[in-house]
Amino acid sequence: MKTDNRAFIVRILLTITISLVIGAFFILLIGESPIEAYIALVKGAFGSKLRIGTTLAGFTPLLLTSVAFAVAAKAGAFNVGVEGAVFLGALVAAYIGINWTFLPKPILLIACFLGAILTGAIWSLIPALLKVYYNVNEVTVTILANSVALYITSYFVSGPMSAGGTVSQSHPVTVTLPKIMFPSNANAGLFIALAITICLHFYLKKSKYGIKLSFTGTNSLNAEYAGMNPKKVIIYSMMISGALGGIAGCIEVLGVHGVFLNNFAVGLGTNGMLASLIVKNNLVAVPFMAFFLATLNAGAMGIQQNTNVPKSIVDTIIAIFILIATMDGIIAYVKNRRLKKTNKTEVTR
Amino acid sequence: MSDYIIEMHNITKEFGDIVAISDGQFNLIEGEIHSLIGENGAGKSTLMKLLFGMYEPTSGDIIYKGEKLTHHTPKESIELGIGMVHQEFMLIDDLTVWENVILGSEPTKGFSIDASKAKKEIQAYIDKYKLDVDLSKKINQISVGEAQRVEIIKVLSKGADIIILDEPTAVLTPQEVDSLFVILQHLKDDGKTIVFISHKMNEVLSISDRITVMRQAKYVDTIENKNVTPTMLSQMMIGREVFLDNKKTKPKENFTEIGLKVENVWVPGDKVISKLKGVSLEVYKGEILGVAGIDGNGQLELEEAIAGLRKIEKGSVYISKNETTNKTPIEIRKKGLTYIPSNRNTRGLNRQMSIETNLVSTILDEERFSKSGLINFKAIKENALKLLEDFDIRPRNPELLTSAQSGGNAQKVVVAREISHASEVLIASQPTRGVDIGAIESIRSFVQSASENGVAVLLISADINEILSLSDRIIVMFEGEIVANLKSSEANEENLGVYMMGGKLGGFAELGEELHNEDR
Repeated sequence: MKTDNRAFIVRILLTITISLVIGAFFILLIGESPIEAYIALVKGAFGSKLRIGTTLAGFTPLLLTSVAFAVAAKAGAFNVGVEGAVFLGALVAAYIGINWTFLPKPILLIACFLGAILTGAIWSLIPALLKVYYNVNEVTVTILANSVALYITSYFVSGPMSAGGTVSQSHPVTVTLPKIMFPSNANAGLFIALAITICLHFYLKKSKYGIKLSFTGTNSLNAEYAGMNPKKVIIYSMMISGALGGIAGCIEVLGVHGVFLNNFAVGLGTNGMLASLIVKNNLVAVPFMAFFLATLNAGAMGIQQNTNVPKSIVDTIIAIFILIATMDGIIAYVKNRRLKKTNKTEVTR
Repeated sequence: MSDYIIEMHNITKEFGDIVAISDGQFNLIEGEIHSLIGENGAGKSTLMKLLFGMYEPTSGDIIYKGEKLTHHTPKESIELGIGMVHQEFMLIDDLTVWENVILGSEPTKGFSIDASKAKKEIQAYIDKYKLDVDLSKKINQISVGEAQRVEIIKVLSKGADIIILDEPTAVLTPQEVDSLFVILQHLKDDGKTIVFISHKMNEVLSISDRITVMRQAKYVDTIENKNVTPTMLSQMMIGREVFLDNKKTKPKENFTEIGLKVENVWVPGDKVISKLKGVSLEVYKGEILGVAGIDGNGQLELEEAIAGLRKIEKGSVYISKNETTNKTPIEIRKKGLTYIPSNRNTRGLNRQMSIETNLVSTILDEERFSKSGLINFKAIKENALKLLEDFDIRPRNPELLTSAQSGGNAQKVVVAREISHASEVLIASQPTRGVDIGAIESIRSFVQSASENGVAVLLISADINEILSLSDRIIVMFEGEIVANLKSSEANEENLGVYMMGGKLGGFAELGEELHNEDR
């Protein structure tokens, strides 16, 4: 297993290098210096306290959505619907944070989180039930459900919950998470996200439910035979996944924006899914991948501001990176080819 | 150039830490039937997969007609005229026989497949070797024996002169084995060279010219068939004599308490409306009831219905005195069911998990393994170490993935888990399928000892010898019904074989009639 992990890390690092090299080629094509661009990228992500904070602020919700995707994936469910849970969780958290002022602040904060958790879990329960009992593909349902969630929240912040300005957003919430790197948006939610990730990792490793989850995800027929009730396991994993999305939404509202901002989470679900898929849903590696993607996203702004390289170059690099990281088949093919070649040369000798 | 068309010298093959072959030797003379015999895990299949190019040897030489093969692939082997029929068929159920045969090398006419040419070519092989397959049937409409013949046609049609058959008889009835041997003889007469992998001594002795024996990853010897006796062969295979025919001398008859009762059970099938049509049976505590039958006659549905894995449409199941009809698998287990499923790879084991985890998968709820939701890893390891020892499971490494084990040892993991806590009822379905002789012997004795401890054992097996040697009573299933119910003393290989064929299939029908008449 240890050597497996090492090979895995080497592969990821190699993938990063290759995609940066290909990215450099594109930067050269538009007549800019790749070295300068990459320096700008690093500076953009880590160049000052503000920039580090911004990177961390982007990392926080991404970490949660990546882990959310990974948990469901480990049980064999492909939950594309984390983003919907983020939106709805955020909406409920905002509603509670704005209106339940009769509660003392610390309890109100907890109420916001609980509301978001419940909302996310129940939202993801729908595709889970459909999958388990009616054999409806969860990918289809969750993709569609994402739009539904987005439009529900748009309706509320443009209508009943609107603050009335030109921007579609709610009134400010009365309770917030403390900022940690002023003036950036980084906030105490970062610690919440990290703590949840670590706890979840150990929970899945050490608990009965965690073992059942692995059994279900790797061979549900065997899990059923052993009496583990794979249906229940999948339902729970989807609910945990949705709950994590809800928490991400709550942190965005209470920690970053202070209001519910229309469309604020577009892309969070998909990026989380990418981070998780690239590392094959490995919970130890997921945070690093989420951090890497957050860095690229934050650094992209630096590139755009300080060089003539457009931000879309970074998107290109991310795309190349994903392509290469998911190229298992090609790597195997290349290996075979190499074997064959050595074979041929030996024959001719 | 030597007399051999294939020579394999000093072969070793390692998979990570596991040594699959530590000293492999093999050679082939053109036109012979050469058996490769040994227990499962002895390395026979691996050795042949090395020859076929599916794996690469860690060290050693493979020589084909005097020329050394390095890094050869299965495709290149096929080009050299080496073909392999694998243990698990590689056929596509929804395509017809001829479509399966041409798959990958379709003869074309313009943009379309030249079906008539393909059919004609295939029919030529069928006629030449008397393979008896209907070209236009779909794979899911033909029997296992026919499917195997399709595999043989596939290999022939790619121009193979050396044909490797990996445990071809494991899935066949005695009658089908006989007709396979006739085909092999035809192939030999035509000058083909055949490698026949098996762990069944009588088969090997009846078909081979020469026999190579392997034991525990090592080459033992290659001998002429005419110079060998069964006793010698079994000693070479496992280093001592075995007694597989542990047929009960005195069948116990004073059973009183019912362990398992199945009453008029109907179960819908995947493709047909009813796969089980009103099956009733009773197994007493301490008794072994053998269920004989060719695969696919409702045995799978029966075992899964009892275990709660399949919906029972009508009828009821009782374990001891508790009704368990359509209860969940875990509820049924808690009433006292233990169950060795017929499909160990998908049902019985999670091959991506370790041996120790698999050994507790069905009993995770027990307090010693999990307290308030948390797993006690120490207890799991202790449990595994004990069972590895008690059931002689190899290698003795509880953390190893079960996918790294040989078939026999993987099956022992299932057997150990189920038998170690068998209480009321044990379903043992195909418990020794694809398992080596040494393991067969011990698995059978474990099943036997479970019944001696008062467990009601339902033994489902397509292996007639297994049924005959273990059962107190025998029923035969055919097309979802119980067609015969015999005391073990009345049953023998012939009458069971006929009942298993339903007394219907051409050729055997007359034989069946005769036997029936004799019985009367």
